[in-house]
Order: sequence, then structure tokens, then C-alpha cells
Amino acid sequence: MTLALRKLPSLAVVGVAFVVALAIFTLVNRPPSPSSGAGDSGATSAPASAATTEGRIRGLEEALEAGGGGPRTYATLGGALMQRLRETGDASLYTRADMAFAEALERDPRNLDATVGLGTLALARHDFRAALRHGQRARRIGPRSFAPFAVLVDAQIELGRYGAAERTLQRMIDFKPTLASYARVSYFRELHGDVEGALDAMRLAVSAAPGPGENRSYVQTLLGNLELERGRIAAAAASYRTALAGFPSYAPAEAGLARVDAARGRLQAAIDRLRGVVGRLPLPGYVVALGETGLAAGRRADAASDFELVRVQQRLLGARGVNADAELTVFEADHGSPRRAVRLGRRGYAAAPSVRAADALGWALTRAGRPRAGLVYARRALRLGSRDPLFLYHAGVAARAAGAPEAARGYLTRALAANPRFSPLHAPAARRALRSLR
Amino acid sequence: MRKLALVAVLAASAIAVALSSGSSHREAPGSSLDPTGDWTDVYFFTPNDDPGSAVVVGNVIPFEDPAGGPLFYSLDPNARYYINFDNTGDGRADVRYRFEVEDKINKRTRLALGASGPVTSVRDKDLLLRQTYDVVRERYNRRGRLVRRRTVGRNLPVAPSNIGPKTMPNYQSLVDQSTRGLRGGGRVFVGQRDDPFYIDLGMTFDLINFRDATTGNAGGYKDDLAGYAVHSFVLKLPERLITRNGEAVGAPDASNAAVGVWASTERRKLVVSNGRGRGGRGRYVQVNRLGNPLINELFIPISRKDEFNRSRPRNDGKKFGQYALEPELVKAINALFMLGCKETDRTDIVQALFTGIPGVTAIGSKPAAADTLKLNLGVPPTTPDQVNRFGVIGGDNAGLPNGRRLFDDAVDIYLRVACGFLIPEDQGGKKLPLGDGVDVNDKAFLPTFPYVAAPTSGFDSRIKQDQPTHAPTPGAPPLVP
Repeated sequence: MTLALRKLPSLAVVGVAFVVALAIFTLVNRPPSPSSGAGDSGATSAPASAATTEGRIRGLEEALEAGGGGPRTYATLGGALMQRLRETGDASLYTRADMAFAEALERDPRNLDATVGLGTLALARHDFRAALRHGQRARRIGPRSFAPFAVLVDAQIELGRYGAAERTLQRMIDFKPTLASYARVSYFRELHGDVEGALDAMRLAVSAAPGPGENRSYVQTLLGNLELERGRIAAAAASYRTALAGFPSYAPAEAGLARVDAARGRLQAAIDRLRGVVGRLPLPGYVVALGETGLAAGRRADAASDFELVRVQQRLLGARGVNADAELTVFEADHGSPRRAVRLGRRGYAAAPSVRAADALGWALTRAGRPRAGLVYARRALRLGSRDPLFLYHAGVAARAAGAPEAARGYLTRALAANPRFSPLHAPAARRALRSLR
Repeated sequence: MRKLALVAVLAASAIAVALSSGSSHREAPGSSLDPTGDWTDVYFFTPNDDPGSAVVVGNVIPFEDPAGGPLFYSLDPNARYYINFDNTGDGRADVRYRFEVEDKINKRTRLALGASGPVTSVRDKDLLLRQTYDVVRERYNRRGRLVRRRTVGRNLPVAPSNIGPKTMPNYQSLVDQSTRGLRGGGRVFVGQRDDPFYIDLGMTFDLINFRDATTGNAGGYKDDLAGYAVHSFVLKLPERLITRNGEAVGAPDASNAAVGVWASTERRKLVVSNGRGRGGRGRYVQVNRLGNPLINELFIPISRKDEFNRSRPRNDGKKFGQYALEPELVKAINALFMLGCKETDRTDIVQALFTGIPGVTAIGSKPAAADTLKLNLGVPPTTPDQVNRFGVIGGDNAGLPNGRRLFDDAVDIYLRVACGFLIPEDQGGKKLPLGDGVDVNDKAFLPTFPYVAAPTSGFDSRIKQDQPTHAPTPGAPPLVP
């Protein structure tokens, strides 16, 4: 008995070590459904629990501070920080996640989760070539694992390598049909103009989604976007509202509801909603939407100041050497300097020749007075069969200016077919262009 | 003025903007985690109140916060949930129960609340979303061919989540309404329940700071799963429905006494594209399975966890047997703390978890090594005043690894078995008093169907719970309080 008692301290420590391993696995296998900490304020009075992303982060960081973590703990922490980033948009988390993955790889250069994590991080930073490299490396490390597929597919799609992406994606969904694979199949089909198929896959993603939280609201919002794309405005609104019920103030869903408001002609409601979103999360996409809705409502001064914001953002981006996104190219073409847009667009297309990049460069060229060159890229943007009304509108305007009225009519008619109110600013412009061709 | 304010906001989030430079490309979650499809635990035991039957409890959707409204948690209506039985010992399913869930959405209810008025019936129109399910029983022959398929329950209600006393003044009556009989025998319940698993996750991250002054396993730790709910599938079946010869079990040494169980989930594959711009649906494929507790968590290396979930138990010996025979877990413990636990040739672990203990849980004479939770139906259930949470190593033969009861302390048992509790000392065994300081679930289990405790209501939700301290337990493990 004495002997046993003397042994106790070390035994207890063994117990702890065992349970650390167990806890990490348990956390991994009992993933969070961030509900109590779901707001994007970041501050919650509820006790941090393993069920919230915040609570998981705190637990893991405490373990590491206590000296109790190996590569796995660091990689798990990095993953939790990435999820928190999804929930809040707080980008100080990028650096922290990056450091966590680096620590993991320093201790174990072949750590699968950290390699996948670096790939996810590169995707978020729009460094798609780096993401592809991380994804390929992750596949080599874990050829029988699921997670590398996601990074690989996303990188291939953004780099415009659609054939390879389809093959990877088919293997991914054969390997494990779940939210992550259903949502990607949906996007791939959407890019190819298969909106019905995209809806089917996204409904499966929603049905497979965990309880209330960011992930479920994310796919519900995408489902709303698809409904909106085919002009089913009420269905889209219902989907966005469900997303908001599961994750209050969820910015992508708020932005979706603003598009619904705009499509219903309630421009002021759309503006109010978008101003709320931008106040919390001033991402370029939301600010551009705000400015364009303002323009459509005839508020030129407000729109101008909103667009000034986007330019400030753009300068910040440029100063940090971040890849210009297609979104900013299109913005510059529409509301700034088309020549600068062409420069941005060329750089973007060279870095990642996706259909999005082709559309952006084509629109920049068209706006810069080179519609023939613009039409070439607009056709490239549509080469997969996309039914994106903005792509079609851009192609229509290019074709009209390039002296191809027949093609222009076709593109513009199709742009307006599914959803005649696809944008408060561009849909009326598309109608005007179409009338001028008659 | 407004512009200035916005610019200030922007400047404050300059890094944010710089790094999340665009929002337009898709960043879907990449995780293989799948709470609605991943089983957290399976239990398999002979109930005290009906010893001629066997009870299986399978749980999905961990960490359900009871207050997680207004949408709460639900099962995936596009998944197929299975409880599988192997009664021949080849690791193949001989009997399967399939659960197919359906959503019934009340479109008239507003989304702001989980229900629009007091819910007195499982078919109440006030419920925003209710789910129903069918149960299909399948029988397979020795070669794995389907020989009979029969729907034994149709349009049964999934018990709604416990929102609170105002919405659900009598939750127990909803539970009672959700407890149904099955055609051909047996009872079934599907719905939200308290998570019966218990563990201290928080203290485990803090290696130095023990919660009490002592350093032994003296209880007093925190049950981090306390207050959380899961979705439970509970099946109680007469022995004859799952035994090899279709008869009740006469004695522990009867040839039909041992049966193995595991849960699995299947989801539909998709054809991404048919090459002409149209995709389609494909067949169902297994995405998760679970038999014994913690196998995938503690024994299977990270690089093969996904593969494990896709594979069938009958191939476990060939594919994963080495991880039980020479567990990394034991090596890690020894490397850290030099306890000298036996690292190789762990046939005791292979037996306890995969092939079955000869004469007790081994199914048939030449059992395959398969991760199924095996129970000898002939062993009578231990009376409540005699039970021991350590099961077989605590001298209580009706518990883990002979099946698994709700209160069996899987963490402590695994820890002790890993260091050789089942091996004679002259062959390298050690009887070490290891444990995690959480000894019981926060809620008492029920003596009758559905056995799992009721979930905390959303209104009363209070997560986590401290446990009472007790004297360190270096010797005989304590009885369940």
C-alpha cells in the first residue's frame, strides 16, 4: 500500500498524459457546434466550453503554455483558430494560425493536419499555387486521408484547372460524402451552369450539416445564393433567414438578405442592411455592394464615399503585396480607372487563370475601350457553361461594343432570364443595352 | 462624418482586410468531421428489467447545447443510420436495423422560436421542425447476401429536443410517445438524450495544475460533457432476434450466447458531372462506424482514421490488427513515464476488443478479429447494488469489455487495461490504479427503457459539472455510488 501510494504522483501524471491524447482525439472527434459563442462580437459571458471554438482555443493554448503539447496539439490549435476566423473575420487569427502550424511542422515535418492547415491558410490568402503545393504534399503524407482533397480541389478550381479538379472532387466524394464534399460538388456544378445539380448537392450539404453554427449557416447561405441565381427570391430569403437563426448577425447571410431586398425593389432596406454588415466586417465585396445599391438608389455622394473605402482597401492590399482579387478588378473597371483594372486583371489572370479571373480581365478590357479583347476573355469566362448573370452581362456589353449584336442579344437575354433583378445597378443597365440592340 | 467613421473602422481592421483580401472565392469547410454522421459511442448490455432482451444505445451529434435554439439539432434525413449485429463471428453483419429519417417542417411557424406554443404531442403543429423515421430490419446469410428485408416501424416520431418547461410542460410524455414497439418484437426510441459519456477534458490540458491538492486519481475533477446532449438511437430486442439460431440464450456457454454489435452511417455519393454538364446521384457508401469505445481515437494512427471509418469490421485483423497488438498508446506512456507496461504481443487487447475473450465474448469457435462490441447474452445482468464501473477488471462480469453498460468507466478501464490489468503479473501484467478523476455521469441513468437519462432542457441548461472528491483509489476500484 505504501509502495502504491508513493507511486501515485507518476501514475496520476500518466493518467493525465493518456487523457491529453484522449482529449485531443475526443475534441477532434467531438467537434464544436459553436452556439453559445456564435455571435461575432468575440466576447461572450458564457463560460468557454469545449463546445465553442473559443473554448477549444483556450483549452489548447493553456495546454501548450503548461508545456503539455506536441505537434498534434499545435496543429489542432491552428485548425481551431482557422474556424474562429471563419466565424469572426478577425484576421489577427491568420498570424496565430500560421504560427501554430509552423510550430507543429517544426516538431513533426510530416504532420498531416498542419500541412493541410497551411494549405487552407494559403487559400484564404489567395495564394492558390502555394495552396496547391501544400495540398499535393498533404496527399503524399496522407494518401488515405480525407482532408487533403479539400485543399487540392479548391486550389485546382481557383487556378482554373477544372479537369483535374473534377477528378479530385470525384475521388473526394467517393471517399466521404459529407458537408465538405457536397458543398464543393455544388460549386463545381454551379460553375458549369448546372444550377439544378448544384442545388441538389447543396441541399445534401445542408442536411448533413451539424447543429446550429457557422458551418451550417455557411451552406444555408450558399443555398440561398443558388436560389437567388435562379430567381426564386422567396426561397432565397427563407434560406438566408434560417442561416441567421442558426448564427446571429452572420454577415454573408445578411448580405444575401440585402440582395433579396434589392431584388424586391426595397433599396433603402438593402442599404441599411449592408451598412450594418460593412460596419462590422468591411470586406470589399460588401462595400462594393453597398456603393452599387446606393448608386441604384440615386445617392451618388454616398456611393462615392463608399467606393473611396474600397480604394483605401485596395491601396492597403497593394502595399502588402496581396494578390488583387477578381472582385477588385471588376470594381476598378466599374467605378475606378479601367486602365488600372486591366493591369490588375492581367496580373490576376496570370496568377490564376480561372473563369472568375477571365471575366474580370475581360470586363476591364471592355471598359478600357478594347471590347474585342474583352470578348475573348468573356468567352473564356463562359467556357464551362456558367449561367452567372454578371458574366453574361459582361459578355453582352463586350459583344455589343465589338460589333456582334446577335451574340450580344443572346448574352444579355440570358443574363436577365433567370433573375431579371440580379443586381440593382447592372440589371437595369443590361435591360437598357438589350433595348438599344432592338 | 460617416465616411470618416467607416475609414476608421477600416483602418482598425487593416490587417483583416489585407489578409482576407477577397470574399468571393469559396472556402467551404474542409474537415472530415461530420457530427450528424459520426457515432460517438455505442453501448450494448442486458437490461436488469428485462434479462431476456438486449439493449443497444448508439449516439450521434456530440456537444448538443440544450439551449442551442431556435433551430436546435436534428438528424440528417439524407443519411442512413445502421445498428449492425454479427452473431456468427465472421465480422459481417447478419442482422441490421436501418433508420431512415424524414423532416416534417411546419412552414407556418415563424423561425424566431423552436415552437410557436406549448408542445403536448410529438406530432404537435407548434413544432417548427419535427422528424420521423422508419426502421427496416435486414437479415443476411453467411455469405453476406441479403435474405430478408422488412419495415418493422413506420413513421415513428423522433423525440423533440427539450426546449424548456414553458414550451414543453411535460417532456416525459413526449418521450413516452416516442417510445414505440417494433413489428416482430422489440422497442425503439430515437431522440435527444443526455450524453452518457463522462470525461474531464479541461484539466487534461493543464498538466501541472491539478484541481485538488492531492496528486492521485481522487475524483474531484470536472465532467466536461455534463449538461450536453446527444441524439440517441435506443433499441431493445428479444434475444431471439439477434442470435445465430433465432432462439433465446439459455446459458453463458450456449453456442448462440455471444453477439457483436456496431453502428454505421451511410451517405449518398454524387456523380460530379456526366461530362455533358449534368451531375447525378450515386449509391450509398459507409462514412462512419463505431463498435468498441475509443478504437479510432486511441489505436488507429491519424493517417488511417478516415480509412478505418470507410472499412468493414471483417477486415480489421488484416488492416488494423497490428495497432492493437503493439499499441502506440502503451509505447507513449512508457516513453514518457517509464512505467514498463508491456508494449508488444498484446494478445490480451486483441482478445478484449477484436476476437473476443474465449468462452465469454468470442463469437463461435474461429472468430474473426473485428471491432465489434461483443456481449455474452447468457451472462445475467449484475444487480444494481453489486455493479462496478470497472466492469470485468472490477470483478463485475456483466460490464465492459463484456458489452458496455452506460455507466462503465471506459476511460479508466482502457487506461488500466493498456498497462496490463488483464495480464498475469508473471507475464508482464500490472494492476495500476489509473484514471481520469471523473467517475460517474452527471445524470443518473434510468432503470427502464430508454435507459439513457433525459436531456437537460434548454431553459435549465448548465454545462459542465464538478465531481465530488474521494480518497485516492490505488487498490480495488470503488463501486458505483
